Order: sequence, then C-alpha cells, then structure tokens
Amino acid sequence: MNGSLTFLSVAPEIALAAAVVLLLLVEVTFKPRAWAWAVVAGAGLAAGTALSAWQWVAHRGADTGTFWNGMIAVDGFAALAGLLVFPLAGLGLMSAWRLAASQGRRGAEFIALVLLAAAGAHLMAAAADFIMLFIGLEVFSLSLYVLAGFTRERVDADEASLKYFLLGAFASAVFLYGVALVFAATGSTTFYGDGGIADYLAGTVIFRPGVLLAGLALLLVGLAFKVSAAPFHVWAPDVYQGAPGGVTGFLAAAAKVAGFAALARVLTAVLGARADDWVPAVAVLAAASVVVGTLLAIVQDDVKRLLAYSSVAHAGFILTALVAGRGGVGDMWFYLATYAVQVLGAFTVAAAVSGDRAGRSPLAHWAGLGRRAPWLAAAMTLMLLAMAGIPLTAGFAGKVAVFRAAIDAGYLWLVIVAVLATVAGLFFYLRVIVAMYLASPEEGASLPASPAVGWGARFVLAVAAAATLVFGIAPWPLLEVLRDALPL
Amino acid sequence: MEAGEVMVSLLILLPLGGSALLLAFGRRLGEPAAGVLGTLTVGAAFVLAAVAGGDFLAGGAHATHIPWFDWLAPLGVRAGLLWDPLSALMALVVTGVGALIHLYSIGYMKADPGFGRFFAYMNLFVASMLILVLADGFALLFVGWELVGLCSYLLISFWFEKPVAAAAGKKAFVVNRVGDAGFLVALMLVFAAFGSLSYEEVLGRAAGELSTGMATAITLLLLMGAAGKSAQFPLYVWLPDAMEGPTPVSALIHAATMVTAGVFMVARTGVLFDLAPVSAAVVAAVGIGTALYAASIAVAQYDIKRVLAYSTISQLGYMFAGVGAGAYVAGMFHLTTHAFFKALLFLGAGAVIHALAGEQDLRRMGGLWRRLPVTTVTMVVAWLAISGIPPLAGFWSKDEILATLFARGGAWRAVWAVGLLTALLTAFYMSRLIFLALFGERRWAEGAHPHEAPKVMTVALGALAVLALAGGVVNTPWRPGLEHFLEPAFEGLDLAHLPSGATQWVLAALSVAAAAAGILLAAGAYLRARRPAEEGPTWELLRRGYGVDEAYARVFAAGGQAVARFTDEAVDQKGVDGLVNGLGVLVRTVGERLRPLQTGFVRQYGLGIVLGAVALLAWFLSRGGF
Repeated sequence: MNGSLTFLSVAPEIALAAAVVLLLLVEVTFKPRAWAWAVVAGAGLAAGTALSAWQWVAHRGADTGTFWNGMIAVDGFAALAGLLVFPLAGLGLMSAWRLAASQGRRGAEFIALVLLAAAGAHLMAAAADFIMLFIGLEVFSLSLYVLAGFTRERVDADEASLKYFLLGAFASAVFLYGVALVFAATGSTTFYGDGGIADYLAGTVIFRPGVLLAGLALLLVGLAFKVSAAPFHVWAPDVYQGAPGGVTGFLAAAAKVAGFAALARVLTAVLGARADDWVPAVAVLAAASVVVGTLLAIVQDDVKRLLAYSSVAHAGFILTALVAGRGGVGDMWFYLATYAVQVLGAFTVAAAVSGDRAGRSPLAHWAGLGRRAPWLAAAMTLMLLAMAGIPLTAGFAGKVAVFRAAIDAGYLWLVIVAVLATVAGLFFYLRVIVAMYLASPEEGASLPASPAVGWGARFVLAVAAAATLVFGIAPWPLLEVLRDALPL
Repeated sequence: MEAGEVMVSLLILLPLGGSALLLAFGRRLGEPAAGVLGTLTVGAAFVLAAVAGGDFLAGGAHATHIPWFDWLAPLGVRAGLLWDPLSALMALVVTGVGALIHLYSIGYMKADPGFGRFFAYMNLFVASMLILVLADGFALLFVGWELVGLCSYLLISFWFEKPVAAAAGKKAFVVNRVGDAGFLVALMLVFAAFGSLSYEEVLGRAAGELSTGMATAITLLLLMGAAGKSAQFPLYVWLPDAMEGPTPVSALIHAATMVTAGVFMVARTGVLFDLAPVSAAVVAAVGIGTALYAASIAVAQYDIKRVLAYSTISQLGYMFAGVGAGAYVAGMFHLTTHAFFKALLFLGAGAVIHALAGEQDLRRMGGLWRRLPVTTVTMVVAWLAISGIPPLAGFWSKDEILATLFARGGAWRAVWAVGLLTALLTAFYMSRLIFLALFGERRWAEGAHPHEAPKVMTVALGALAVLALAGGVVNTPWRPGLEHFLEPAFEGLDLAHLPSGATQWVLAALSVAAAAAGILLAAGAYLRARRPAEEGPTWELLRRGYGVDEAYARVFAAGGQAVARFTDEAVDQKGVDGLVNGLGVLVRTVGERLRPLQTGFVRQYGLGIVLGAVALLAWFLSRGGF
C-alpha cells in the first residue's frame, strides 16, 4: 500500500488523540477556564470530522483499502462512521456542557473521555482486523464506563458504572473468545486481503464449520451486547437510569453507532459468505429486541428507563435492516444516524427536565411541561414522534427503509412483528406526550426547579429537530447517497 | 399552445378563479360587486366558448385535444381537455344559461347574508360542470362529476340553518353516491379492459376489442351513475327535495345543467352503448318509464317548485329515451331547449315566490298576471314551449325524439306511445301550474303586495324567453343545423333517423293534438270559478309520489341505521374496542410479568447473557455440527 497514506488512514484517530493529550497538558499546566476546553475539544472534533470528510470524498464508492498490515480499513463506510461519530460527540459535549463545567477541574477529564470514546468508536468502524476492532471496542467502552459514573456523588451512578463495567467486561471476554474460535477455524484475524477471513471463507469449503460458527455466535453476543439487543440488553436500563442526565444521550447514541458499525462490517463484509447461517439468528435477535423492548417500555414510569427500553426496540429495528445483508447497510446507516440524533435530543431534554446530574427522571417531572417550557416540550414531542415512526419525521423514513430492506430479503414475518411493535410502541411515546401536555403537576410534588437549558443544549435540540424534519420530509437524497457509497 | 387551446382552458379557469376570489374576498366585496364579478366570469366564459365554437359552425374544424399535465403517471393518466362539437354545445349551454342565472341571482339573493358565498359556489359549480363536459377522459370526467355533486350539496343546503335544507343536501349527496359507486366500478372495468381512461383510446378501440358482455356491464354501471346524477328512476328521490335550495340554484343545477350530465355522458360514450344493445334499451326504458312516472306525480303537487322538479325528472326521461334509442342529436337538442325553458320556468317561479314573499303553495296564488306582467308573459312562453306547441323550442326537440322512437319500429312504438301520453300529461300539469299561479281568482293572503321583480331579474327572464321561443330554429326538419353541427362528434355511430314524408306530418300532428288536449283539459278544470277539490285516494297517492320516498326511508334509511347501530354496538364497541383494549391489557400484563427479570443484580444479568449466548451457540452449532 502507499506509504504516504499510511498515517492519513488513521488521521482522524490521531487528531482526536492529539486533542486529548493537548487538553490534559493544557489543563495541568495552565488550569484555564472552561472555554479553553471547548476550543481544544472543538478543534479536535472539527479536525476529525474534516479528515473523515476528506476520506469520504476520496474513497466513497471505491473498494476498501487496508493499511498498517491490514489493520485499518479506509473506505466510505469508515469515513461515514467518522462523519457521524465526531459531530455526534460534539453535540454530546454541548448537551453535557453544564455537567462538565460543574465538575470543577475534573471537567477536562470528562471532555477527554468523550473524545477518547469518539476515537474508539471510529476505530471500531475502521478496524480491518479483529484485534484492532477489539482495541477500538475497549477504548470506547472503558471511556463510557467511566463517563457513566462520572459524578461520583450518587451511589446509583457508581452502581451503574460498575454494572456497565462488569457486564461489559464479560461481553468483551465472550467477544474475544469468538475471535479466538474464528481464528482457529480460518487461521486469520484479518478481514481483507489475501489470506484474510473473507478471502478464506469465499475460497474454502469447510466441511465441519462448527468452530467457525461457534465463534460467529460469540462474536454476535459481544456486539449485540454493545448495541443492547435483547436478550443482551439487561444492562441498558440500569445504566441509562443511573448515569448522569447530561451524559446519557451521548452514551446511548455513540454505543449504537459504534456497535452497529462494527456489527455491519463483521457480518456483511467479513462473514458475508456465511450469511445463510447468521441471517436467521439476526432476525430472531431483531424480533426479540423489538418485542422485549416495546413490552417493557410500556410498563415504565421513568422516562430515562423508558427511553432505554425503547433503545432496545430500536436496536431490533436496526438489526432488521441487517437481515438484508449488504443490501441493507445503507438503510441501516440511515436509521442509525437519524435515531442517534433523536435519542441524543430526547436525553438532552430529559437532562434539562430532571437535572443533568440526576439519574432518574420520573414521569411526574414531565407533567405540564408543555406549559412550563413549551419549547422543550415541543422538541421532546418531535423526538418521541420520530422514534414512534410518525410520517414526516426521519423516524418514519428510517422505518420504511429498514422494513423494505427486510421484505426484499424475504423476512416478511419479521416486518410484521416489527410493525406490530411499532403500533404498540405508540402507547408509551404518547404517554410521555400526554403527560407533558394534558397532565398537571401534582399538588405539592417536588418538581426540579424550572428546567434549565444551556445554549449548548438548545443548539443540540435545534439541530436534532431540523435533522429529524428535513430527513423526514425529504429522505431520498440521503438514502441514495448512503446506498450508493457503501460497497464495503 | 394555440389561441384556441388557451381559450378553451380559460373557459374553466375563469369561473374557477372567480370562485377562488369570491371565497377569499366575497364578504369584503359585498353587494352587488360579488354578484357582478361572478356574472362577468361566466359571461366571459360564454363569449370564449362562442368564439372557440364558431369554427365548428363554419365546418371543417377538427376536434382538438388540449393536454394539461401528467396526472397519475403510474397509470398513464393525463389531464387534458377535448374540444369537439359535443363539448362545445354543452359549454355554450352551461355558460350561457349560467350567466343569465347569475345575473338573475344578483336580484334574487339581494340582502342575503351569504351573498358572496353564494356566488363563489355558483362559480365553482360552473367551473366543475365545464371540467365535466370538457374532459378528454373518464378520469377528469369523474373529477368534474364529483365536484358537481359537491357544489350541488353546498348549494342545496345553502341555507343550512334550516334543518330541511341541510337534510335535503345530505339526501342529494347520499343518493348521488349510490350512483357514483356504480360509475366508479364502470371506470375500473374500463381501465381493466383498455388499460387507459382517455376517450381517444377507449372509444377508439372499443369497437374492435370490447366483448358484448363487457360492454353491457360497463354501460349498465355507467347508467347507474347517470341515473343518480340525472335523477332517473330509482335514484330520482333527491331532486324534489333539492328544491330547498335557493331558486336560482334549482334553475341552474337542478334543471339546466348538472342533471343533464347523465344524458351528456351517455351521449359521449355512445360508442359503448352502441356495442351493448341491451343497455341502450334499458336506458330508453328507464327514461320513458321515468318520464311517465314523474309526469303523473307532477300533476298532483301543490308546491310550485316541486311541480317543476318532477317535470324536470320527466323531461330528463325524454332525453334518456332519446339517447337510448340512438337519437343522440335529438337527445342533445332536447337537453338544450329544455335548459332554456326549464331555467325560465324556475326563474319565473322564483319571481312569483319573490313577489309573494316566499309563498310556494299554488293554492295561495292566482290572478297574479295583473301584478307581474313580465313574469307572466315569459312564463307563458315557457309553458307553451314545454307543452310542445309549435313553433316554440320544446315542440321541435320533443317531437324529434318521439318521431325517431316511432321510426325505429317494433317495440319502440310502445315507447313512442308512452312518450305521447307523457306529452299530454306534461301539457296538463304545466297548464295547471300556470292557471293556478297566474290566472283565475286571487287567493293570496290579505296584506300581501305582489310586485314585479327588479330589472336584473326580468332582463334574464326576457333573454331566456327569447331562447325558449326561438331556440327551435337551430334544428328543424328543413334546416337540421344542430345535426350537422354535432355530426362529427357521433361519427360512426348507429344513429336513429327521422321518418320521412307524410309519417312525419302525422306524428307532429299527433304530438300537437296531445299537447292541445292536455291544455284544454286543464283549462276546463282550472279556469272555472270552482276548481276541482283534487281529493280522493288517487290524488293522495300521486301527491305522495306513490309513497316511494317513505318506502326508501323505511327500507334504506331505517335499515341503514339499524346496520350502523349494530356495527357500532356489537362490532365496534364490543368487538373492535374490546379487541384493542384486550390487547392493551395483554401487552401490559406480559410487560409486567417480564419486569421482575430486571432485578438489578449483576449475577442474574450475567446469567441472562450466558443463556442468550447458549441459545445462539445452539442455533449455529445445529447448522454446523462439529
């Protein structure tokens, strides 16, 4: 491969890492005001986004190129992940800015962790080798574990963090075991190129594929854990509810994007030759996720918990696109991108309503929000309607796209299940809307002081609302771009 | 686009634009500006139609297709207009009579709080009717068809604060929907058979491709739609009730234009009826049956507008008999002359009602000719025209239909005989109306001061009277101008023809004799000092329209309500709602059951992950084996 391109292939990660180092050095040396953090973090994320954009322009639609001895993939897929993850991290920081600023000198660490998580997430999407994928996964996950328990003032935040860490470590171990089994069956951990796994599977008839398939099963478990697909979702509600309000949005959005980016590449590009084996399993996971997520969301009385279960259901919807194999990857990205923005917006509102250090956000906090804070309520309503899949929102376009992909792949039953779950899902989304507009706060209930919305959060909500409406009304340009540019 | 095409497009756009303007600013424009604007747009449309249609009179002009836009691209349906002699004639009638009625309405609707709204609806109606007649395919025809129905609803229930008017509007709409259902199915069959809805394709290919069975099915369903719109048996019940609308509406919609849509449609799709002789015969049978039936009911009505309503149904029956017998030109001819004299009759009746401050009962009129000279003269013209006294317009057209029916021979002679009897009845009930309303002793209430209508109204009456008087000249046996005019539109059709020579004279004499007999009978009964009591079971039965309305109310309305109640209580509330609520409860219960799984203990979560992993492993290993 071209040597001069070698560093450019990981340039986004380098930019982010440089920003992290600079941020911590500046923090220790000069103890600056909070705006200096913003400048450094913003510069790092802007550089990462710009470099991803450059990769996108240069590589979309082209075949995957690998660098660093087949460790890093450069293609439209990786570039797209960067274009999504880095701005998302920026929005996540804006949404959490008050939280970060309120943490005194530790605020810099908070920001550094978000940047590291973003770098790890991009590495997961750009990894061309299981080892590199695992490194990205751990960089990403470890940052999130710490972020989940960052405030250290509530015991349930510590509990959430520890739970996330224990279960995440467990899932990582399972994932690693899967990698080992795949290596045992194919003799490689590299995805592409001569002797890579894809090449080996395409060219070899395996008479006894048990080891390979066992490895595949364990890989699936590890990644399904990250995207909180049922039945590997159990951590999500506790963690989402325990983590500080300000950070939950980024936690939820980034985990989905990174997890699905890795899952899509591993399943379609690397193990595409075994699609007949994994597609039914993915379909069952998808169905289980939408059903379990929806059923459990219905009985929640806490909005953050409700959103956590809804994110389980959404993991199922996104998996629905993957049963179409490569043909569904464009639709998956569309759903993933629009959902990530929606969930970030929804948790941003939750942080404003219940406080950005608080864990819980009981439905009682939301009563009468339409009168107390009409703009917040309107933004939340839009996000919820989009998640419910109401037409003229991006959520509807995304659902249509993934359902269509699944129908084309012959999985009508899955789509029927998903549509039924969508209908049932309306119940809990509307429940929050009803609480906001039709319920009045209970007498003597201790409501958090009137919702405080910082400028960062306002910007996040404006962007989320605009994106949700624009891609809801005119989804086709984006869908076309995503479908055309992702050969993997 | 050529100048002609622009003119024809403007024909629709002018009243449509006028309607939009009036809807938006009608209230601010006020009186009489809103009415003047409405009249001017329709009048301008008439001038355009006359100029654009002049080419056909000169002869040699071809039918032109005016493409508008791709409409339903996946079905290959385009929206466009067809300008040929048939649509030109209809456009002239609609805009000409329409303009006069608009003019009249400026006076009639004076001081009505909904003045602007009235003209907005009227303009919309004219535009819809023009869409209907100018469409170059079934799809756009259907748009006009439905819009016309909507306008009819809006105008019948124009005084919606009156419950009767609101109910009448609803009735018209519902009965029309019954016909429309058939019409819609007909369109689907047409599309299934031809893969197209344009006249050019369908009518051009029908002769070669359509089987008799399919043609019969399509045309019978088309007839269902036509019967709804043109108030033919058994779907006529809405028209008498429609008289609750303002009188100009009755004149424009329920006499001169909208109700002729069915006749026009049968004439337009004559090619299809040609292929289905059974359907054509059914059209004629329905028509002539309705003609006699409605005429007999008209004899016994006391409400002046209801007499005219049944008379309209009866005259439409003539037209149906004509087009059913293949006498398309005669049918269209009668449509035209009928538009003149029936509009005139309604407007005259409106002037009488206006003069008596809203009185509509013939028993409380009489002797008005002294007070209302202009109205009396013009109504007398219309009366003689509809009765079929030569040389007024109605004689020529009605006689042409009857003569053609006779000339076809065989069973058609029976149709002719019924038509002749109906002619006698027509002359009778019209004379009864005129004698009771305008002549004889005065019976109106003390203190009423009948006065002639204002100028705007009498001008319109005068113009229509001239048309009713001399409209027949366009198509006399000696100078069949209309026949030549319409010939290109019915090219290649199996047209019925007039009998020749002496037969024609004898038939004409018989018609005139029937008309004269009807008038004399009525004169004998109603011009005497003591008018007949009109009592007894027969009169009662006729007055109640043979009780058909009550029967419909009992069977369809009550039956429909019973079905609706059953659906509401048993199916919806218990079934559907129960299902939905039950499902909701079920889902919640399942959710609650699943909830304890979320214990919060990491060890149990870990166990869950392991179980999930084991399940996945089992699946993959079952596919691979070791």
